[in-house]
This record gives sequence, C-alpha cells and structure tokens, in this order.
Amino acid sequence: MSYQMIALTMFSSMMVLLLTGQRVFGVIGFVGAASALLLWGDGGVEMPFNASFQLMSWYPLLTLPLFIFMGYMLSESGIASDLYDMFHVWMGSLKGGLAVGTIGLMVVVSAMNGLSVAGMAIGASIALPELLRRGYDKIMVTGVVQAGSSLGILVPPSVVLVLYGMIARQPVGKLWLAGALPGLLLASLFILYIVVRCRLQPHLAPPLPKEERQHTTREKLLLLRAGILPLLIFFAMTGLFIMGVTSLVESSAVGATSAILAAWFKKRLTREVLQNTMHKTLGITCMFMWIILAALCFGAVFDGLGAVRAIEALFLDRIGMGPWEVLLMMQLSYILMGMFLDDTAMLVIVAPLYVPLVISLGFDPVWYGVLYTITVQIAYMTPPFGYNLFLMRAMAPPEISLGDIYRSVWPFVAIMIVGLGLVTAFPQIAMWLPETFYGAR
Amino acid sequence: VHAQSNEPIRWRLQTYAGPSLAEHVIKPSIDAFNKAANGEMEIELYYSDQLVPTSELFRAMQRGTIDAVQSDDDSINAPVDVSVFGGYFPFASRYSLDVPTLFHHYGLKEIWEEAYGEVDNVTWLGSGSWDPCNFVTRDPIRSIEDLDGQRVFTFPTAGRFLERFGVVPVTLPWEDIEVAMQTGELDGIAWAGITEAYTVGWADVSNYYLTNNISGAWSGSYFANTERWEELPEHLKTLFKLCMDSSHYYRQHWYWWGEAHYRTTGGKLELTSIPEEEWQTIEDEALSFWDEIAEESERSAKLVQILKDYRQTMQDAGPPYRYS
Amino acid sequence: MPKPIRYYVRYVDAFNRRVGRLITYLIFVMIGVLLISSIARTAFNSPMNWVVELSQFMMVAYFLVGGAYSMQMGAHVRMDLLYGRMSLRRRAALDVVTILFLIVFLVTLLLGGISSTQYALQYGERSYSSWAPPLAPIKIIMTFGIVLMLLQSFSTLFKDLATARGEEWS
Ligand SMILES: NC(=[NH2+])NCCC[C@H](N)C(=O)O
Ligand code: NA
Ligand code: NA
Repeated sequence: MSYQMIALTMFSSMMVLLLTGQRVFGVIGFVGAASALLLWGDGGVEMPFNASFQLMSWYPLLTLPLFIFMGYMLSESGIASDLYDMFHVWMGSLKGGLAVGTIGLMVVVSAMNGLSVAGMAIGASIALPELLRRGYDKIMVTGVVQAGSSLGILVPPSVVLVLYGMIARQPVGKLWLAGALPGLLLASLFILYIVVRCRLQPHLAPPLPKEERQHTTREKLLLLRAGILPLLIFFAMTGLFIMGVTSLVESSAVGATSAILAAWFKKRLTREVLQNTMHKTLGITCMFMWIILAALCFGAVFDGLGAVRAIEALFLDRIGMGPWEVLLMMQLSYILMGMFLDDTAMLVIVAPLYVPLVISLGFDPVWYGVLYTITVQIAYMTPPFGYNLFLMRAMAPPEISLGDIYRSVWPFVAIMIVGLGLVTAFPQIAMWLPETFYGAR
Repeated sequence: VHAQSNEPIRWRLQTYAGPSLAEHVIKPSIDAFNKAANGEMEIELYYSDQLVPTSELFRAMQRGTIDAVQSDDDSINAPVDVSVFGGYFPFASRYSLDVPTLFHHYGLKEIWEEAYGEVDNVTWLGSGSWDPCNFVTRDPIRSIEDLDGQRVFTFPTAGRFLERFGVVPVTLPWEDIEVAMQTGELDGIAWAGITEAYTVGWADVSNYYLTNNISGAWSGSYFANTERWEELPEHLKTLFKLCMDSSHYYRQHWYWWGEAHYRTTGGKLELTSIPEEEWQTIEDEALSFWDEIAEESERSAKLVQILKDYRQTMQDAGPPYRYS
Repeated sequence: MPKPIRYYVRYVDAFNRRVGRLITYLIFVMIGVLLISSIARTAFNSPMNWVVELSQFMMVAYFLVGGAYSMQMGAHVRMDLLYGRMSLRRRAALDVVTILFLIVFLVTLLLGGISSTQYALQYGERSYSSWAPPLAPIKIIMTFGIVLMLLQSFSTLFKDLATARGEEWS
C-alpha cells in the first residue's frame, strides 16, 4: 500500500468507527492496533504496549490527575460560593450583571485550575440555579457557563498548554504566560456581548429587585475578602512555578494541597467530599489517559507505516501555498478533527507534524500554542463531539435540555472565532507578557 | 518485510538522537546508503522515542518491531555486562580517537561480539566515538562542591558515578530536556560537549559550561535484529558497514571542530573551570569506580584491565597522547 | 442470562470496584511524594533521585489499574452524534458488536505487556537510571491492570447483550 493509502485508510476508518459511538479510546486504539497487526510486519503486536512506556516517560503528564483533583476539590470547597456572592453584589446593578459576574467568577476559577471541569462544575451548581431563579434567559446563561469555564485552559495554569508544550517542546512557563492576555481578551469579549445583548433585549436579564441592590460600601468592601484565598492559591501554584521555585509537576502538587487546605479552612473537608473528589478524579483521569495511550499507539503506528510522510507531502508540495494559507489549513483541520476527536488525540496525532512546519514557516511556536488552545476550546463547544457539551449535559439542572445546550453555544463560538482572529492578526496579545517576563529570544 | 521481486527491502532504524542532532550524527550516512542501495533497500530513519520509547527499544529490536538501532549500549539498557562501558564510562578516554583505537587495536571489538553473541536475536554491528561529557548548567560550577545537589540529565553509568559527588542524576526522554531545564525539573546536563549544547538548543536554556570533562568521548553502537541482518545480501551488509564508518568519520571531525569553535565563538555559555589538581580527585575516584565495576563479571574485569593498560601506554607515550 | 455468566459479571464487577476504590487513594501518595521532594529540594537542598521515576510508576499504575473501575462508572466518552439518538436497547445492541474493537486493542496491549514482562524477568531488567529499580514489578502491575480492563470489557459485553435482548440482568 502506498503511504497515501495508509494515511487515508487509517484516518477514515477511525472517523467511521467513531460514529458507531464506541468509547473513543477503544476506537482509536483499535485502528492503531489493527493497522500494526496487519501492516507492520514482525513485532507490530508490541506497538500498543510500547505506547504505555511512551506515556510513562512524559513526566509533565502527572499534572493531569493532580489538576483534576484540585478542580473537584475547589468546587467542593465553598470558595466558589463566596466568590459568587462577591461578583453578584458588585455587578448586580449592571444590566445582565449576574451573567457578567459569572464570567468574572469563571476567570478567577480558571486562574486556580488547569482544566475547564472545575469551572463547569462550579458554574453549573452555583451560578446556573441562581441565574435561572432570577429569570435570566436559560439559553443565554447556559452558554455563559460553558464559554466562561472554557477559559480554564487558556488562563494559566493550563493542562492543555502543558500537553502542547510536551509535544511541541516549548517551555510551559512561556506558554502559560502567553495564554493569559488572550484569556482575558476572550473574557472581555464575552462580557461585551452580554452587556450589549442585554441592553438590546432587556427581557433576557431582568434587573435585581431594589432591596437586593442596597449594600453599604463597607459591606461591599468586606466581600472582596473572598478573593484572598484564590489569590493565595494562584500564587502558591502558578506564581512559585513562574518564579522558578517549584518545578511544574511539583507546582501541581502544591496546587492540589492548597485546595485541600482551602476546603479544610472552610470546614468543608468532609469524608463525603473527599470520597467524591477521589472517585471523580479517577474517572476523568482514566478517560484522558486511556485516550492518550490509544492516541500514542495510533500516532506511532501511523508514523511507522510511513503515513506521516504522506501528510507532510500534502502540506509541503502544495506549491504556491503561502505560510498563512498553510496556517489556516491547519486550524481548519483541527476544527474538522475536533468534530470527531478529543484534543489530546488530535495533538498527539498531528502536532508532531504541524509544529515543525509552523516553525519552518517562520511562526512562533509559543504563539501557535495559544492559537491551538483557542481552536481546541472552540472544538470543545461545538457539536457533535465536545467535552464541554458532555460535561454540561451531565452537570446542568434538569430544566436545561440537550437542545438548549447545543443552541446556547453558537454566539460564544462566534466570539471565540473573533478572538482567534484577533490573536492571529496581533500576535503581541499573546507574546507581550512572556516576552516582557522572559525577554524575547 | 521480505525482499521480493523489485520491492525494496525496508528497514526502520531508530536513533537515540533527536532530529537536530541526527542531522549530523547519522542522517547523512543513511541518505547516502539509500542512494547507493539504488532501490534495492531503503532505510527509514526515526528519531529518539519516535516509534518506540527508549526504555523498550532493545526489546523492540529483538522482536523485530524495529529493525536496527543507533545508540550507546548504556542508554538502551542492553542486557549485557559490557553495556556500562558503552556510554560515558568515566575517564576511560580522553580523545575521540581513543575509542576506535580501543575497539580495533585493544580487543574491545571481540569482547563486544562475544557479549552480544549471548543475547538472542540482536547483532552488534560496531561502535564509533562521540563527544566528551561536560557540564552545561544553570548555575556556575567552579569547584567540586558546586556539583552537590545538582539535578542533572546524564547517562546512567555516569550518573551512578557522579552520585558520589552529590549529583542527582535524572532520566528523562532526550527530547524533553530543553523543556525540563525551563520547567525547573533539571539544573543541568552532563550528556554532551559544547557542540551538542549549541546544536540541540541546550545552550539557549543554560548559562554555564564547565570545561573539565569526565570523559573525552563515548562510544556508540549500531545494532540490528539478527534475522533482518542475516537476510541481507552480502553487498548490502558491506554497504551498511561502510555507511556506519562514514558516520563515524564525520563525527570525528565535526565534534573536534565544534568543541573548539563553540568555546571560542559560541557566545551563549560562560566557561568555568575547576583547577586540574582539584579535578584530579574526581579522576582518582573514577579509578576506584572502575575497580568496583571489574567485580561485576569476569568480562568486566578483563575490560577494566585493558582500559588500565591503555591508560598506562598513553601516559608512557607522553605528549601529544597525554600531558600528565 | 445463564448462571455462570451472571456470576462472572457479579464477581468481576465487585472485584474491579474494590480494586478501583483502593487505587483512588494513590492520588494522595502522589501528592505527598511530590510535596516532600519539593520541600526537600527547595528548603534543604537535597533532591531525591527516585521521585521522578516513582511518580511515573504511580501515574501509570493509577490509570491502568483504575481503568476497569472507570469503565464501570461509565467515565469514557463516546462520539454520540448517532449513538445519542438511539434507544437504550439499540445502543446496547450496537455496543455488543463494537466493543470488539475495544477488546482487540486490549488483547494486543496484553500480548505486548506479557512479552515485555517476560523480558524484564528473563534479563533482570532494571530501569535505565541511576536509581535503577527493577522493572518487572511495574510491568506486572501494568499487565494486571490491562487484564482487569479486559475482564471488565467482557462483563460489559454480557450486560449489553442482556440489555439488547431485553433481559433484566441485575
Ligand atoms: N486533555 C484533555 N483531553 N482535555 C480536555 C479538557 C476538556 C474539558 N473542556 C476540560 O478542560 O476539562
Ligand atoms: Na487555568
Ligand atoms: Na467539537
């Protein structure tokens, strides 16, 4: 079989089999294993297990279970409801203020965690019921929680950027800093959208009753205390790492510990909370790790059968395709793959190919990491396959239907595309912070 | 993958080196091989950990998952007693010519053949010499005490030795070293000389280079799955060996050029040195390390004896062989 | 469901649940080890050379041995474009067929695991680091995890089969 044929066969059979709805890791692993058995020749059967050693050697992957643990711990710790009260009171007088406050809450939660699970859990359990009770539009607020929580992977710390850094061989510290401003940019765009929309359609966000808006300045200032704990956690985890005191993996352990301490401090560290956190952490970690294992197997077999060469040729031999067109093709292919695959699988399978290409075209791989992350964020929220859709479905209050969830994401997806365009057109949005901190290389 | 009609024989060869380094240490010779084989055979070159993680590489070759490997014996943990001598065996060599001399004129070749003869389905094809082992670090090393507590990426055997001076050896995939220096997982690298530090990009993430080395050159090997090797017609075997030699030859002058070139014109690393008398204590310690290794097997004892004889000969010969 | 199968499902599920619950505690060990090493290094300038490797072993053990329980909890995502629209019974029927993909993947993993473990035992393989722990134990643990996952897949298969045929299986 020619390289092109192999590439085509492996990809298309994966896509088709994924449609059967079998567990994603099973399908990816199967296509990898079966191709190895049929096409590799002697020793092909060893490829899947070898992938587990590949995975083991990726030390930064240890941050994954620890961040997940931390996320669940935080959502149980009660830090979030204090924060919510704070934003609620401070933003309450604005039209759509509670929705704006929810985005604020999500930004703070994102700064304390590397994934969007925590934000989603907090948003769905604390913010959503409140917003619904006050008559906010169901569809809009569902979108707010999903979009807001997706900031978790852009605002540092970020597990997705760790994974990208591992594959692209880029320093995680720089990547995290590069994600910060684009994250805030997206948050501002979300807020702008909410404010404008609520001004145009006031019925989407009924104002708070008068008596709920009367707080003395002193009361308001006292509420700001809710921000202290998150600040401490952010410093202990991301701050110490960026300053070079703790290593990356250590910092995730520090983060997990600080979340336990926070819960204890808030007198929320019950047996039940611990048990829940432990179980959910195992579940989500296994989900990710088995996909990574399968994707590593798929990727290595794909590579060893020469299929990578076919894709390489596809990009390189297209004479007349300028650097920007190549970049655009790559982003489009991510969105396309994002319909079927999860982000890690995409990353493992195509990034080893894309990143050297990006570098050779003269783009900055750190900046590209941010583009990748925003693209992945979009992919998370767009049907049919999207983690955030799955998570939302599992966590949202019952009155929110699947249709509501699907319908709610579109405006935010559009905003994210705008954000992606801005960061693409003005790389300084991403690069200013890391270059200021580390110096341009 | 059999040779049939006009389908070329295909091999997968994985090197320990990442792409930037492989560009020098192996790729030119493989390209030349493919050209000279004229369609009869084609070797596909894969880089460090690309298809198979290094820790499983030897086994993968044994099982035929990979057809051939370029690596030091130490890093792939070859299951033979001589593998400790394969990487940076401390102070066993001072110049890169020492390695081929030892193999071809002091009997190491025969010892290696014998040792790998005892392992199933892997054939050792030959060794050549690589670069010295210096320290590339974040903080300066100006005395032996400065080594204490440094987390350093190094070869397993060198690591075992360096632990005596408080160094904490860390093992990570080769490709992850640059990032690990930046994420604070590592304080330094004792894995290469200055040529690689610059070629690979490690010079960008470190600040200092210690000019004293614990080895003047390491020896790296080529291996193949025995069945695959035996299947090759004689002329392709010969061609492959010629290409190995051409890669060995290229490295001889590339590193010799680079070590001097980057020290004098590199500009990214500040050079530091430990006075010779102080460094001598490390060399003395190495000799007692040799004696410990000699206890491990009869063959190891024989090897250590050869190394001692060689060292003596070189010292007796005086400059330019040895200056002290 | 025939009796032996009923027993199989019951015991495999129960066993995997136990093992899975036990393995959830490993997260605290990971946190603890990393924290101690961080403190030892930053406060006492004495890094420990085994921490990186030991944590890697724990991470791999965590998800391989915990895998079966996670499958029982239904933690693994699917592409549910079409699947999501089917009735429970149709889904089960489809799963009965497609779980074979999963099983093929697991069986090749298992074969690799066995051969790798054999090698580790035959040559007394040690990790290529200066700590140099023997590798057989972790390979045995990994292979054990894969076996559990395989057992769980068959249990899932049986349950799906029952659901597809409209039987009550619990
Ligand atoms: N590595 C991954 N697969 N990450 C997926 C993350 C999905 C989800 N949106 C989260 O951040 O929690
Ligand atoms: Na974050
Ligand atoms: Na999607």
